[in-house]
Amino acid sequence: MHATFETMGTVVSLEWSGDEQALAAARAVFERADRRFSLYRPDSELRRVADGAVELLDASSELREVYATALGWRGETGGAFTPHRPDGAVDLNGIVKAWAMAEAGRALGDGDWCLNVGGDVLVSGQAASGAPWVVGIVDPADRASLLTAAPLVGGRRAAATSGSAERGDHIWTRGREGAEFVQVTVLADDIVTADVLATAIVSGGAASLDDLTARFDIDVLTVDAEGALRATPGMRELVSDSVEHATSAR
Amino acid sequence: MRRRAAVASIIASAGVILAGVQVGAAVTAARTPTATGTGSGSSNGGSTSGTGTSSGTSSGSTGSTGSTGAAKDGTFNGTTVQTPFGPMQVAAVISGGKLTDVKVLQRTNQGGRSIQISNQADPMLRNEVLQAQSANVSTIGGATYTSEGYLQSLQAALDQAGFAG
Repeated sequence: MHATFETMGTVVSLEWSGDEQALAAARAVFERADRRFSLYRPDSELRRVADGAVELLDASSELREVYATALGWRGETGGAFTPHRPDGAVDLNGIVKAWAMAEAGRALGDGDWCLNVGGDVLVSGQAASGAPWVVGIVDPADRASLLTAAPLVGGRRAAATSGSAERGDHIWTRGREGAEFVQVTVLADDIVTADVLATAIVSGGAASLDDLTARFDIDVLTVDAEGALRATPGMRELVSDSVEHATSAR
Repeated sequence: MRRRAAVASIIASAGVILAGVQVGAAVTAARTPTATGTGSGSSNGGSTSGTGTSSGTSSGSTGSTGSTGAAKDGTFNGTTVQTPFGPMQVAAVISGGKLTDVKVLQRTNQGGRSIQISNQADPMLRNEVLQAQSANVSTIGGATYTSEGYLQSLQAALDQAGFAG
């Protein structure tokens, strides 16, 4: 089955081999997250925290949990990822979507499904053909074409892409003129790790790339302003294999 | 194509492998600029002073430039060494008296897969990545688009097709 719906300012595309109940469960997760965490909603809990109407300590356990998770990642990335805006305001945009995707994934269960939220991907099982799910990666220089594609295999369930070109609203580059990388794709076993580290590498540039690839079990593909690519060994293998997988799926 | 890419990918790992396996205890010493590759397991030379940063750690094991301080320019093959990951041989490229590159001549191999010692991201040529058509993919990954941006996205086109198996 295939469905799309809008939430959190973007569009969710879900491909799954289940019933309508699974879709409803996933949808409910995003709607709840949207109500709680969307800064553009004047009545959202996070908006009221940002406005100072609600103290962080008095916020819901869910909001505090997400904030604590984000702070944990700030430490893990040496500050390249942060849940704060330069003016100090709490901004959980960088992690809420991935967190909601993980929650939706739990709601969808262990079946075969592919969840795409605004270009970030979380999968389970296999595509209908029995082949691995294959993620096409957009070319930042020409969004109507694909740079390449990578199958999600070997425990890799998540692919997150961050860019400085499109809606870089939650990425603050650190004291440089323009980002070194215009697009960073990270494959990981879970979507929060993939999303946070993709953001951190765009924010922190080459130094964060070297640091984070050394410390985390991730595959990374970066595109710089000149269009030049860098890839980790695992990513290199995946993007070189991708067509084999894709064609065998036909 | 795939093999070539894999070989290229391990070049950056060579220094790490050799530093860890061949030089052994000299690794820490070689990190300081004044160290002179003492304890190097390689037979030909081994007294090159550490010149670089990370690449400098492997110069002690691969340099074959004799015992004088100034290294001659050229490409110097190291001996094949047995590592816990299999046989390994590298060549050091010396230019202007400094180590400028380490190339892998023989890489470790286990079950046809290169052993990932380092997960560093290295330059990759566009023609090394396989070109993909959107018809062959399940879903499209890209920097987060807004609801409006979605309308122009490849994902929207894929969703229009209604099926992405």
